[in-house]
Amino acid sequence: MRNVIDKYKRELVVLLATLGMAVFFTILNPAFFTWRTFLTVLQQMVLNGILAVGMMFAIITGGIDLSIGCTFAITGIGVATLTVNGVNPFLAILFGLAIGVVLGIFNGFLVTYLKLQPFIATLGTMSLYRGIAYVWTGGQPVTNVPDTFRNIFNGKMFAGIRFYVLVMIIVFVIAHIILSKTRTGDYLYAVGGNEEAAKLSGVNTRKVKFIAYTICSVCAAVAGLVMLASLGSAESTAGAGYETNAIAAAAIGGTRMAGGRGTALGTFIGALMLAVLKVGMVVINVDSFWQYVVTGIIIIVASYFEFIRQDIAAFMARKKA
Amino acid sequence: MKRKVVALLVAATMAMSLAACGGSTGAASSEPAQETEETAEGEAEAEAPADDAEATEATGEFNPDSDPSAMTIEEVREKNGAEVAVENGIKLGAVQKSISNEFWRTLQSGYEKAAETVKAAGIEYEVTIDSTTDEGDETGQQTMVQNQTNQGLAAIMASPISDSNLTQAVEEAQEAGIPVINVNDGLIAIADYYVGPNAYQNGQLAAEWISNKLGDQGQVGIVIGMAKAFAARERTAGFEDWITENNSGLEVVAKQNADWDRQKAKELASTWITQYPDMKAIFCNNDDMALGVVEAVEEAEADILVVGVDGIGEAYDSIRAGKLDATVDSFPYYMAQVATECTLRVLAGQEMPHVVATPQALIDSENVDKDAAEIIGWTDAAYVAK
Repeated sequence: MRNVIDKYKRELVVLLATLGMAVFFTILNPAFFTWRTFLTVLQQMVLNGILAVGMMFAIITGGIDLSIGCTFAITGIGVATLTVNGVNPFLAILFGLAIGVVLGIFNGFLVTYLKLQPFIATLGTMSLYRGIAYVWTGGQPVTNVPDTFRNIFNGKMFAGIRFYVLVMIIVFVIAHIILSKTRTGDYLYAVGGNEEAAKLSGVNTRKVKFIAYTICSVCAAVAGLVMLASLGSAESTAGAGYETNAIAAAAIGGTRMAGGRGTALGTFIGALMLAVLKVGMVVINVDSFWQYVVTGIIIIVASYFEFIRQDIAAFMARKKA
Repeated sequence: MKRKVVALLVAATMAMSLAACGGSTGAASSEPAQETEETAEGEAEAEAPADDAEATEATGEFNPDSDPSAMTIEEVREKNGAEVAVENGIKLGAVQKSISNEFWRTLQSGYEKAAETVKAAGIEYEVTIDSTTDEGDETGQQTMVQNQTNQGLAAIMASPISDSNLTQAVEEAQEAGIPVINVNDGLIAIADYYVGPNAYQNGQLAAEWISNKLGDQGQVGIVIGMAKAFAARERTAGFEDWITENNSGLEVVAKQNADWDRQKAKELASTWITQYPDMKAIFCNNDDMALGVVEAVEEAEADILVVGVDGIGEAYDSIRAGKLDATVDSFPYYMAQVATECTLRVLAGQEMPHVVATPQALIDSENVDKDAAEIIGWTDAAYVAK
């Protein structure tokens, strides 16, 4: 038990802070503490949660992926075009995931073979992919996506919970398994922690990074599918700016920006916190301008605690030595 | 070390976009037509002195919505006579933005239609239309105006990306003796003339329609677009002021920003529906957001009226399908024709008001299939060779 608490200390702290927030909102407006509000929070964390867990993989290797919002848009457009033209929805989903794989591999190629800084490489693909989305559609939205596709994600399971919530949970569970139960997971952390050391000990760092960027893009594609199901239409402009919220969720959840650390559970709680914050501020009717201010402060505070924690750890280590 | 720099960069980008401009990228794209309308309408102005002051401050002393001398094109035709004398072989320029957006594509086809009308009168006429791909290319747009200035066109009709990005280019054009007509927003404070719809009136029309449908009773919410946009402020103000001034029984219980983003608007509406079970109507600053809200309303199976602004094709489809309840259309196709006519009147030496308000109308299930020209009572301009 002790071990578990130690291992997930960071996650626990963020979870407690999130619960504290929920209590705060409930005190200000008891309407916050209802099943329907909880459901709203759960559903509104889905897109950001899926994007964030993918982003976490890129960050763990010491990188970043700014292009996810555009991958998200392209997937939406591609799958919408297929389903509107009568393609089987499951085939269309496979196609959507394939888009994620291809765009992710391209990001991986830029970062590994061309040795571009991930920030710059994906800044480039961010514009490139957005451009593709514009060219593909000529700026026109793709509308009237059939219900056969929409219901796969948007249908209700029980108690009003929609299938896409389940999709998010599956994504997180898979991410958790990859990171904590597989050798690939160890390699991901190793590459992010100390790339040279990882290389010297025989890790194929290129392959590991390819995997990270591909997972990241596939997650963006999954989020694109959910968005398409939820809105019933796709636009070339969708997802602009979504990468920042994904980074925020990962960072709040304890993912180290320099790489080498981060957990699926932490990112889940990070996304949960942002959703609670977003819904809570609407429920207590905070002016929308102030919502930006508050969100910004929360991110800064959360990151600051992360730094302090590192300082303390370093101090203790020195003392021991 | 390198890594730390990157981490820092990331943190900075993130903080920036989250803290202030969460929508800046989104804005560019997802705000097709909406950020576009500001206008002139004496009537609106008289009714809204407070809003006036506010908007004036924000847009550098110029608020077309509250220009007392503003006229409609019908009023102009009445005052100056229906006929417009056009010099043979005249060449105009038009610079617009965001061709990835339906609103601006429609505006472009309006300029082309106007050209046909002029040519049909046996006049040699040419219009050069330049457009940026999205709302991010502010300097590219400036270059377009400079190019047109260098080509020696007779006048330039410009729809800038921001209130300031064309200022320098417009000054240069004016120094070269080329009049600049500001069409729709952003606002060019130094432009010689302004032609565009009245955003304040958008909000009023929506409020009036909702009030009629609900028997002037009930809770309403407003989904606003990015607040830096003049149109967002004016539409919201027009809506709220209408309620106050008419002592309406409508009550605005919630008002939040959704960055012109469909998904964000949907999520916002879902939260409201949970929180305000008695909410009866939601007014959105544009159609994109309204279409997102419609999805939330459908999912919740709630009985809520949804009204947007812009009149994009998808909104018409949605109204036909019985989902969206109404939109306020500012008819970019006719806006461009009005702009062309006004420009040619200026060149013909006619005395023109500083602001000309272009037609707009509320579209609901009753008039959605009606011809736009009929709704606004449109007649083509009467051009004659000089």
